[in-house]
Amino acid sequence: MHPREGWSEDRPRLEITRRGFLGTGLAAGGLGALLAACGTSTTTGGTGPTSHGIPLPRPDQPVTWPVFPGNKAIKSGLPPERNATLQLYNWTAYINAAVVKSFEKKYHCKVQITTFNTMSEAMSKLRSGQVNFDVFMGVTVDNMGTLVEGKLIQPLNHSYLPNIANAWPDFTNPFYDRAWRYTVPYTIYTTGMAWRKDKVPENPYRMASAWAMPWQAKYKGKVAILDDYREGISLGLLKNGQYNLNTTDPGQITKSQQALQDLSRLVNVHIDNNDYSNVPSGQIWIHHAWSGDIAGALAYLPKGVSPKVLGYWFPPDGRGPVGNDTLTVLRGAKNPVLAHLFLNYLLDVGNALTNISWNGYMQPLTAVTPQRLVKEQILTPNLMSTAVLPSYFRRGVMELQLPAAANTLWQQAWLTASKGI
Amino acid sequence: MTAGQSTRRGWLARAPARPATGRRFWVLLAAPGMLWLILLFIVPFYAMLAIGAGQLNVVLQTPVPAWNPLAWSRGNLLLVLHDIGGTGAFIGPIILRTLGYVAAASLLSLLIGYPAAYFVARFAGGRKGLFLVLLIAPFWISYMMRMLAWVDLLQTNGYLNRGLNLLHIAPVNWLGGNPVAVVLGLVYGYVPYLILVLYAGLDRIDPALIEAGRDLGLGRARTFLRVTLPLSRQPILAALLITVLPMLGDYYTNQMLSGSAGTSMIGNVINGQLQAPGLQGQGAVLSTLLLLVLLVPMIYYVAATNRSAREAA
Repeated sequence: MHPREGWSEDRPRLEITRRGFLGTGLAAGGLGALLAACGTSTTTGGTGPTSHGIPLPRPDQPVTWPVFPGNKAIKSGLPPERNATLQLYNWTAYINAAVVKSFEKKYHCKVQITTFNTMSEAMSKLRSGQVNFDVFMGVTVDNMGTLVEGKLIQPLNHSYLPNIANAWPDFTNPFYDRAWRYTVPYTIYTTGMAWRKDKVPENPYRMASAWAMPWQAKYKGKVAILDDYREGISLGLLKNGQYNLNTTDPGQITKSQQALQDLSRLVNVHIDNNDYSNVPSGQIWIHHAWSGDIAGALAYLPKGVSPKVLGYWFPPDGRGPVGNDTLTVLRGAKNPVLAHLFLNYLLDVGNALTNISWNGYMQPLTAVTPQRLVKEQILTPNLMSTAVLPSYFRRGVMELQLPAAANTLWQQAWLTASKGI
Repeated sequence: MTAGQSTRRGWLARAPARPATGRRFWVLLAAPGMLWLILLFIVPFYAMLAIGAGQLNVVLQTPVPAWNPLAWSRGNLLLVLHDIGGTGAFIGPIILRTLGYVAAASLLSLLIGYPAAYFVARFAGGRKGLFLVLLIAPFWISYMMRMLAWVDLLQTNGYLNRGLNLLHIAPVNWLGGNPVAVVLGLVYGYVPYLILVLYAGLDRIDPALIEAGRDLGLGRARTFLRVTLPLSRQPILAALLITVLPMLGDYYTNQMLSGSAGTSMIGNVINGQLQAPGLQGQGAVLSTLLLLVLLVPMIYYVAATNRSAREAA
């Protein structure tokens, strides 16, 4: 099996990917406030969620979500549900089936996975109340507010989750969910630059600004950027030397858009999320890329092509886009104990390694080091740079939820840059 | 119409012994189709209008449809019009490009499709069924799979470039934002539709008319130009309509075979808007505008068909 088996081929191209939903989420409003806010403005106006009194979670503005009277954590010491079918709600192809099977065996239960393709699809299904899942996987952190205030997820009972001790300490008290009341971490990733070493002599590690690497006319037709409005505009910002990837400044957003349009003119840039297959196939030589996709790109190398031709650059000082997804238990879970046990299972080092070997995306466990991944032959040494280090989350920049009006500016700028030339 | 009239439609009128019951029967017979049309066309179309003329929930970034026409807002329409023709407009050039690509693809489809359809209609003889099955065969494979097959053919190390390599021709970067690849993709995707519709029309041309042309001394080419081609006018119009309409809204071919801003078509813009939370209202407006523009050739087709039916009568 390879990391992307089971992906529908159009998924990565046609929608906002599992990592792309950052910023369109609804943190902070609360459903009452959300409903009250209906129909308040056209696309250019409106107020950000901050007007509802709850801050947007930021590393320097951490949020401790409340526990509501009608939505308490389950009691400690409960036995796992018997003859149960644990219902998982997950991104397409975002967990290794082998891990699911071993869980079924260990806890004598069945596991059923339902998949979604975009976070907005998942959120609207959950809001409709028409679905009955136990575990909601791969939740991007910008959705915390809606999920908690809307009482869609339940607080976790930590006594079922001893494996949290395996996680990086930062993730036991993350800024988006202080005291990990509702979430445990799932995957972590960086956004950087993938390149074909056999075709591109420049080494981004020796460039003054590798974010400008795609802006080279000689590679016309061989350059691609990610088809994602946050990643795309962020690339323009980084190329312009701007590291605030949550900017609300229209001037900065427009300058980024212009930089991307220059890129289109210069190299007729390809816009896609197939970094995992287009770089190994040689179709693209320089690809703005996600770490997990390039870690999984080895499976797509044509026969006879050495893995050494693949390179992935992320700023060695860690000052680049980083992010993580989470695991949550839904409030309506029929099997909350099994759901907790499943979260705990994924935090086990052995299970995490099995999962990463197929999924490509790393999990933030202390024992899962880049060296370990190489030793377990999950990564080749030349792609160790796709591994995420704890320090990246201290120095890195995260694409977090934007106030609504700024989000629209980002969307519009991306639409213009990605379609209009 | 009364019983006993000897028009072609006379039997319809003669059939019911009791007109009221008869009307109910025909209404009942038409009901499923009407219901289908209402549920799957009129309601969704109105929903699109309501979303386009609605507001935006700025917190959820979801459109709030305005079901009541009195509450319709021009906000999205103005934003879209600004993008089409205002300062810094980016949709205007894309519309022109779309028209250019579709015109080229339609012409090419016709050049490829007409001889094929003509052959099946006139010369396939007993093998007509086989040829029709072969023409329909591509529909058994999903459009996405067919486009992915093109990716395999055209990619850097694909079969086409390998073939060129054998001929010592430098590989072509077909998938690097190449308009030729997009137009060829459109032709490949839609030419079976064109052939089928053309075939249905050409098959109905009375061979006696063509033979009459030959008998009256016209050569092969002149018979074709003076007899067959004028009689093919309606089928050509229908076939072009059936391919031009979906081509104008196509976004997938472009996305698979180019993926570059330099070749994006109007369908890509609409798709981009519909994928972007907050911009769906504008996507609905642009879709509606496209639909209105597409009505023009459709009305022309209906008018032309009516005119030709009158002329035939």
